[in-house]
Amino acid sequence: MGKRKSLIKVKPKKYKTGDIVKVSFMVMHPMATGTGKDKKTGKLIPAHYVNEVKFLFNGKPFTTMKTWESLSSNPVFTINFKVPGKGELKVVYTDNQGEVNESTKKIKPKG
Amino acid sequence: MQRRSFLRGIGMAAAASAVVTPTMVMGAPAPKSANTMNIDDAIKAITGGKKVVKSSKVHLKAPEIAENGAVVPVSVTVDSPMTDSDYIKAIHVFASKNGNVRCADVMLTPANGKAMFAARVKLGTSQDVVALVETSSGEFWSAAQNVKVTIGGCG
Repeated sequence: MGKRKSLIKVKPKKYKTGDIVKVSFMVMHPMATGTGKDKKTGKLIPAHYVNEVKFLFNGKPFTTMKTWESLSSNPVFTINFKVPGKGELKVVYTDNQGEVNESTKKIKPKG
Repeated sequence: MQRRSFLRGIGMAAAASAVVTPTMVMGAPAPKSANTMNIDDAIKAITGGKKVVKSSKVHLKAPEIAENGAVVPVSVTVDSPMTDSDYIKAIHVFASKNGNVRCADVMLTPANGKAMFAARVKLGTSQDVVALVETSSGEFWSAAQNVKVTIGGCG
């Protein structure tokens, strides 16, 4: 299986050092609960969901989340972040089947 | 002919349910862990029996009526200065009647600047969405909102 699509969005697009921005992390993930059935075969789809999301700035974690299957498929996690300066924003997620994935975004405050 | 196909439909449905029920019963014990607690137990497990205060500082935003239970946008904002000495430690989001009531635990730090968390949750039926907030001084605040779901989103 290829790498899952994931992406980080920062809003608003233009920001300064010290501004509070919205950071959204979205990942294309089925978030199967383990109770749903495959419509073709009638078999239960095993639970498959994101169980940990970590937000890091320059390698230092500032927000960690534990999540369960009650979140929607293709989840979007939005939090606030106070921009401390230039750097790299990284989000790492793990799911219950052992997949680990990450995506990064450069933070370039103007002014 | 119509009656025949109708009866066949019933027969298949009965067979399907007969097949499904045992597998569900078999499958049930495995995931029955901390995840299948009811909402009160789940909150107790987090607070450790501490008092939870309903606070107006916790703003829980969710639609009153959700047409599709599979995607319900929920956002939690907490009034807090978010300084090193006074900040919001964690935001927990629950869906009170889902199979697994816990949706997300968000551990925040003062680096967030503002205590906010937003995500989309799945709701099986009409129920309360509950936000439990832990402050740095060890207090627990909560807020709840009822969401009516027209089409369930689980399974």
